[in-house]
Amino acid sequence: MSGEQQQLRIAITGGTSGLGRALVHELGGRGALVAFVARHREGVERVARERPGATGIVGDVSRKEDIHPIAIQVLAALGGLDVLINNASSLGPVPLVPLADTDCEDLELALATNLVGPFRLTKALLGTLAASAREGRRPLVVNVSSDAALTPYAGWGAYGASKAALHHLSRIWSEELASEGIRVVSIDPGDMDTPLHALAVPGADRSTLKSPDAAAREIADICGADLPPSHEASADRRVGPPVRTDRPALASRVAQRPDLGGGGNGPRGLTTPVAVPGHEVVQ
Amino acid sequence: MIPASVATQRPPDARLLVIDKWGAITHRVRVDFPALVDEGDVVVANDAATLPASLAGIHVPTASAVEVRLAGRDSLRTRDVTRFTVVVFGAGDFRTPTEHRPAPPALDPGDRLRLGPLRAIVQKVLGHPRLIEVRFEHTVADIWEGLARHGRPIQYSYVPEPTAIWDTWTPIAGLPVAFEAPSAGFILDWRVIGALCARGAAFATLTHAAGISSTGDARLDRLLPLDEPYDIPSSTAASIEACKGRGGRVIAIGTTVVRALEHAAHADGTVRPGEGTATQRIGPLTPLRCVDAIVSGTHERGTSHYDVLRAFQDDAVLVRMEREADALGYRTHEFGDSVFLSDGRPTVADAELASASEGWCGRGDSKRGVVARVSSCREMLFASANRGFIPRSMTCPVASCRGVRDRFVSDHAAPVVTNRGD
Repeated sequence: MSGEQQQLRIAITGGTSGLGRALVHELGGRGALVAFVARHREGVERVARERPGATGIVGDVSRKEDIHPIAIQVLAALGGLDVLINNASSLGPVPLVPLADTDCEDLELALATNLVGPFRLTKALLGTLAASAREGRRPLVVNVSSDAALTPYAGWGAYGASKAALHHLSRIWSEELASEGIRVVSIDPGDMDTPLHALAVPGADRSTLKSPDAAAREIADICGADLPPSHEASADRRVGPPVRTDRPALASRVAQRPDLGGGGNGPRGLTTPVAVPGHEVVQ
Repeated sequence: MIPASVATQRPPDARLLVIDKWGAITHRVRVDFPALVDEGDVVVANDAATLPASLAGIHVPTASAVEVRLAGRDSLRTRDVTRFTVVVFGAGDFRTPTEHRPAPPALDPGDRLRLGPLRAIVQKVLGHPRLIEVRFEHTVADIWEGLARHGRPIQYSYVPEPTAIWDTWTPIAGLPVAFEAPSAGFILDWRVIGALCARGAAFATLTHAAGISSTGDARLDRLLPLDEPYDIPSSTAASIEACKGRGGRVIAIGTTVVRALEHAAHADGTVRPGEGTATQRIGPLTPLRCVDAIVSGTHERGTSHYDVLRAFQDDAVLVRMEREADALGYRTHEFGDSVFLSDGRPTVADAELASASEGWCGRGDSKRGVVARVSSCREMLFASANRGFIPRSMTCPVASCRGVRDRFVSDHAAPVVTNRGD
């Protein structure tokens, strides 16, 4: 209960493949208390077996009726929440088609998964995140975005438009929630070698794609999750800004990260954009 | 009063009946609530989210349909969900008022219940044939999944449309541990919280497992409220201590907050942080050590929630409150209008002041007797104020009480006139 939980409590949607699954492993490996959500029970059970200690929840963020059952199970598993990672994404129609050939229903589905779902789930969990902030735990919402949110790639209409909306939602929410002590960031993890990318670009040269594990390490750093002791010495695993791991209190970990708005600049400082070298991290 | 029949948490025309510490009543639109909060006050709300606590299913031995309403458990810990205290209803749904629902079959220890995907076993009967303890035969994760997917929020017969889970979560809802919505919190949204903070007040939360408020069964309702676990974050305890230190008021959003804070209160009005279980009943004789004002729904006389209001104001004031709310068409129940009550019960200090000013307190009177007289003087002051003036030297049935009158006048800027024959 209050103040007892020292572990970082993290919920990840889309947690059974690609970046989401990598995040479950990376954050679980760093000692965070993790709950993850995905649509299919088999996948949820598989990842739960891979990562004992992580709680798998079956649910579809694009369905309004699933949001509160997901939120209830996340809170039951974690006893509260410090970080919500809205990672579940829909490409829209596959194979990719021009907007003119996109069915309205497919656009709606992409918006439901990529925009409305994260909005609903974040809203349902906002009370918990605000409680976490009042306890000095500096809660964070990470919305996984894409360069397609900023660049108009032909064929990526449903996906790009929905991610652009999510990106802007993140920026507005970041402004509005700064006074509550809740940070909202939109992060582009880069082009990764994931099932989603394979669906979108079947013929892609996978050697040119970033591994989801590398992207997961960067996001875990942004979440303020300490590296496990065995990894502390391996500098090559540290992508992005160095994270000091000798900080005792959870609250102070992120507080001392100026790039995350720490450093005592007051609530407004929380909105300072996040930048991870080598990647476009957008806020 | 008319029941609020639409599950809208913040209807734009919601009203707020305000009673100051003198028992004076004014009416406001509820969105003006922040204007009642002063710099230095702390507003404390219950951030419990509402469980889908109504489980439809079958009593296996008799194959009869039942509705099981989760009503209590030992702690707020999310792992501690194997055993629940529950209230069992017979067949039917919320469209039948609870008092007209058929009784469930006789429930005996060992009986099996099948509640959608959940299986439970009756453990014991708790002082009433419909109040039992059950044990779920699943892992903790499966119990939560079963509740989350099969359970529905407890419904209200006066709300014709089914109430959805999102109708019952306040904007600040956190841990899902309340059995019914802590509905006083419907007054809050993030703009209101921002406005409170902009006025220089603090906002804090606790988590309290708000229980069932009534069952439609008088004998069962007398057992309410059940013991309710709560958790007060250390940041909230610190906020309250700072507030007390600067002379601010602790304003509780809802009866559950009063119950938790008063249970955890030290004599000086500060509170012990951490977990506890509120076991006490709050009523007219309960001294309030921590809370200075309450925001609440309009509760029905005779309920445990109404009794909490009696700790804040005398019955005579609450009678006036009900009369005015009735006359002005206030809506009652969870989605209805609200009241704001300052702690106005005369303190012994008030009585001693009145006594010292005029000597009307006969020597040898008990302190409680003095308090009662101050109350009756107040009611007479209101009767006078409603006539448009306050006599310069009002004579109360007991004695002249100029001290009370003078403080009333200075608080209300009421005209003081010389009465005929004064």
